[in-house]
Amino acid sequence: MDNILSVLVFFPAIAGLLGFVVNKNSIRTYGIAVTVIVFLLSLWLWFSFDMSNAGMQFVEMIPLIPDMGISYYLGVDGISLFIIILTTLMTMIGMASMGETKNIKNMIITLLFLEMTMIGVFVALDAIIFYLFWELSLVPMLYIIGAWGGPLRIYASIKFFLYTFTGSLIMLVGMLFVAYTYHNVTGVWSFAITDWYALVLPIEYQLWLFAAFFIGFAIKVPMFPFHTWIPYAHGQAPTIGSVILAAVLLKMGTYGFVRFSLPMFPDASVMAITPIAVLSLIMVVYTAMIAYAQKDMKQVIAYSSVSHMGIIMLGLFAMNAEGLSGSVFQMLSHGIVSGALFMLVGMIYERRHTKLISEFGGLTAVMPKFAIIFGVMLMASVGLPLTIGFVGEFLVLLGFYKVSPVMTIIAGTSIILGAVYMLRVMKFVFFGPLEKEENKKLKDLNARETWSLIPLVAIVIWLGVYPKPVLTPIDNSVNALLTFMDEKAITKEAKDMIIVAKSTNPSKLNMGDK
Amino acid sequence: MESLVYVALFAPFVGSLFASLFGMSERQIFVGVVASLLLFISFLASALLAANLYITGDVIHITMMDWISAGDFNVAFGFVVDQISVTMMTVVTLVSTIVHIYAIGYMDHDKSFNRFFSYLSAFVFSMMILVMSDNFLGLFIGWEGVGVCSWLLVGFWYHKPDQDRKDNPSISPSWAANEAFIMNRIADLGMLVGIFILYWNTGSLQYDEVFAKLPELSESVLVGAAIALFIGAMGKSAQFPLHTWLTDAMEGPTPVSALIHAATMVTAGVFLVVRSNPLYSMEEVAGVSMFIASLGTFVAFYAASMALVERDLKRIIAYSTLSQLGYMFAAAGLGAYWIALFHLAAHAFFKALLFLGGGNVMHAMHDELDLFKMGDLRKKMRGTWLYMGFASIALVGLPPLAGFWSKDAIIETAFNEHTYILWIMLVITAGMTAFYSFRQVFLSFHGEDRHTALGFHPHEMYKFVLAAMFPLAVLALITGWFMSSYKEFIYKIGESVQYEMSDHTHHLAIYLALMVIFIVLSSITFAYFKYARTGEKAWKRDEEKEQGFFYKLLINQYYVPKFYEEFITKPYAMISEVFWTKIDLKIVDATVDNIAKFFYATGDKTRSMQTGNLSNYLNWMAVGAMILLGVAAISAMIGLGGIDG
Repeated sequence: MDNILSVLVFFPAIAGLLGFVVNKNSIRTYGIAVTVIVFLLSLWLWFSFDMSNAGMQFVEMIPLIPDMGISYYLGVDGISLFIIILTTLMTMIGMASMGETKNIKNMIITLLFLEMTMIGVFVALDAIIFYLFWELSLVPMLYIIGAWGGPLRIYASIKFFLYTFTGSLIMLVGMLFVAYTYHNVTGVWSFAITDWYALVLPIEYQLWLFAAFFIGFAIKVPMFPFHTWIPYAHGQAPTIGSVILAAVLLKMGTYGFVRFSLPMFPDASVMAITPIAVLSLIMVVYTAMIAYAQKDMKQVIAYSSVSHMGIIMLGLFAMNAEGLSGSVFQMLSHGIVSGALFMLVGMIYERRHTKLISEFGGLTAVMPKFAIIFGVMLMASVGLPLTIGFVGEFLVLLGFYKVSPVMTIIAGTSIILGAVYMLRVMKFVFFGPLEKEENKKLKDLNARETWSLIPLVAIVIWLGVYPKPVLTPIDNSVNALLTFMDEKAITKEAKDMIIVAKSTNPSKLNMGDK
Repeated sequence: MESLVYVALFAPFVGSLFASLFGMSERQIFVGVVASLLLFISFLASALLAANLYITGDVIHITMMDWISAGDFNVAFGFVVDQISVTMMTVVTLVSTIVHIYAIGYMDHDKSFNRFFSYLSAFVFSMMILVMSDNFLGLFIGWEGVGVCSWLLVGFWYHKPDQDRKDNPSISPSWAANEAFIMNRIADLGMLVGIFILYWNTGSLQYDEVFAKLPELSESVLVGAAIALFIGAMGKSAQFPLHTWLTDAMEGPTPVSALIHAATMVTAGVFLVVRSNPLYSMEEVAGVSMFIASLGTFVAFYAASMALVERDLKRIIAYSTLSQLGYMFAAAGLGAYWIALFHLAAHAFFKALLFLGGGNVMHAMHDELDLFKMGDLRKKMRGTWLYMGFASIALVGLPPLAGFWSKDAIIETAFNEHTYILWIMLVITAGMTAFYSFRQVFLSFHGEDRHTALGFHPHEMYKFVLAAMFPLAVLALITGWFMSSYKEFIYKIGESVQYEMSDHTHHLAIYLALMVIFIVLSSITFAYFKYARTGEKAWKRDEEKEQGFFYKLLINQYYVPKFYEEFITKPYAMISEVFWTKIDLKIVDATVDNIAKFFYATGDKTRSMQTGNLSNYLNWMAVGAMILLGVAAISAMIGLGGIDG
């Protein structure tokens, strides 16, 4: 299967198109079947992935507009591989657990298109293809929030769309400028990201370009102070929308930093460490405190999600393999854990049609299974060792300690503040006496819900105990990236800051090879 | 021998999994029995390992599998069985086995019986990881694991509602559980920082590799690591100012209090300091060690003072645990690591016994813990009375019981180090310990019968439960007799744990001990005359005295919980609210919306240009052309050329 990546990208979309002719009663089965196939394909990708190769694999390249250097150019490395698997996994599980019945056919088709755009973003190695999928991903999400959302759905979906779209446009200008510079230097046009890597830019260019890309990515992450679209988006989106948004769409932003900003502008990235770290610390502490003040369970998870993204951002700019690998791992962990938490909140919402914490209390007595799974996810969310949440968070903090001990300690308060807001939810929703009449008749998780959550619980524990199968390929690619950045950096400060692991084996690295 | 290590480690885990299979079903006695048996197997394995180590002196070090590796960072699941860890393993599994058997009787009527055993065994498993790991991160797994189990077990009766602090100082089990978890997390951050410091300066987290590199490190690094790790220890071992969670944790079932909050988990901090003894015994960190000793002494005194007026049986024992932890830290801080470890073991036995006895009383009194409502229980609960009296004698440190040997050695150490202020405080604390321990024994088991009038009909605990407690009583008696052979055993680990008294101290030792014994005996006599008598001279509650300044200060725990509530919890909630409603919604988000509105309004206003009138459009075109010309002229003047790479 040489063109496995193309299959991964377009299979969901084609299946989505065919979905229009599928009967309404069997569309759910159809949709789940398609996502299962895509998921299996992505697993196949993992098994046939060469773990010792840190460069791009399964590369496909078809020139589209040769004069402009635009081509259909795909590939994966250890960093994108697992984000793709996360995408296929969460789409599959999200769809399987979906309780939505209104316009189910449209929902399934929208989700399949969304899956295409998300995979597309993570496999694209051509900036134009990347941008195409990046922007296309907004459309299905706009539709999901706007059509199936809560009372404020129109406001929330437009805000989501316009905000992220504005950021992307600035990023597009940056991309065009890089291509233009590339043309000026080499005399040929190219939009291939791997070609761009080879371009050594003067500091001033790097800074401006870094800023342009930063706006596009930062809004997506979302970094403080660009985060205010997310409480509305989560607050209004249906469960499946929140799951995909938190698990995958936000990762596009952080992934963008790894794919573009770090290798293309190493000096600017090093210069940006402090400002980005400050914003990340604000995200970690400030949004964790806001999460504590929330009255709505889903908003707690939404803000906690922003807080955790702060940790991921911090790791990206640790400039050492510990922090950067930890950050990529944390992207996966956050995807699974926050996805599961949104699913759990969705399940309780379906039963009671409210998400207000004050409406609950003592639920453990009537919904023990629900409470146990929520407890496991809570522990993963607060970063308990032997759960998936610990590995990434620990590595990020460890890595960033090398950059700044004081900032690491401030970021480390996330393990305290995270426990504070999550335990508050646990206490007021699950503990205490069961007083409200409506809650006494609540049913525990049914088979569909249980079986869509159990795989996530299994992953949370498996990757907490034995993260190696995932961490090793990530680490290989991260080491390659850092070695590359170190060689490419032009300022001494940047070279000093970037730490290449001693254990890195240079013969395995082939960054930027086609 | 390697397989024994795995048996010791994983038997409790199997027990926990087994119990959790029945977690949601009805009470099944065999669940408790199987869990207890597996723990007993774990104990046998630990004891065999200890015996093997004692005879052959071979330290077992195994690596099970890789855990986290990224960049140069590499940590595996590795375990080491040396003199320090095997001491902990044996103590932990032994006390756990007894507490498990005890719990079969104690939790008899609880509908969540199976769930309880699943948590309790999971706790033992975490504790074993904590003590057996060969690296700091492995220790941290256990560290957090016991934290979670403690959270689950303190909040075991999660359905109880919150009460006012006046009616119940712990508010509710779920509140106390969260308090414990969060307070420990604050300390854990310190511990993580310690781990970061060690990793970036030694390139490893494995004990032997880290310790080997210590002499090469600079003073600031060593001091930083020592402080950071000790902050971690302060949380788990409830040292001031992170101590309030321990007394509130008494909301959990009594077997939990005995096992976790007296015998094992809370001693993890002491264990950490003892484990890191090569670090703490370095000359560069002498200041930190002195601070540890001083804080320990302070906590010993501080906690004992609060126990003097407490009415709640379990909270008194909790204060005494806190106080004894202070003793252990005093010893460790002064460099007598092995004495700290020995007191840890001895304390685990007699304190567990004391707590389980307290559990019997609680069981008999239908969860009533107020000493003022008891009195004269010894006639109805003879066995429990004997056990608790015996454990109290051990606790206050009268020979020949365990507490005498270990505690006396600590007091002697303080004298030997010429830290006379610490020494005096530890001696006074010994007197206070004697008073509050026997105040509690006399108020509950002696004096006038106050409970019958209140409608209590206490009865003795099941026979098998009393029998299960017997080994603890034996250990509380004999442990001290093995002090010198233990010393010989642990000295093999290296020079840093060895501690000898000077000749001068050695000569005075007997007088010092006699002095302490005298103080202890007079305190007990005083308590006897005040609380144990019947008839005319019987103790009466003195409401007036309870209004006194010192009484109120002590009964309110020096207003520390109140302070935390007023100056931390409430402001935190308030600031969070302000961040959300005032800053996030009113400033950050409003700015975004205003920018959007501005564009919308601009569009709306300029729409009037689109009149459809051709001459109007021509006018606008002219304006546009002029502006473009102007821009071109200006940029040409200041020399903004194109970019040519």
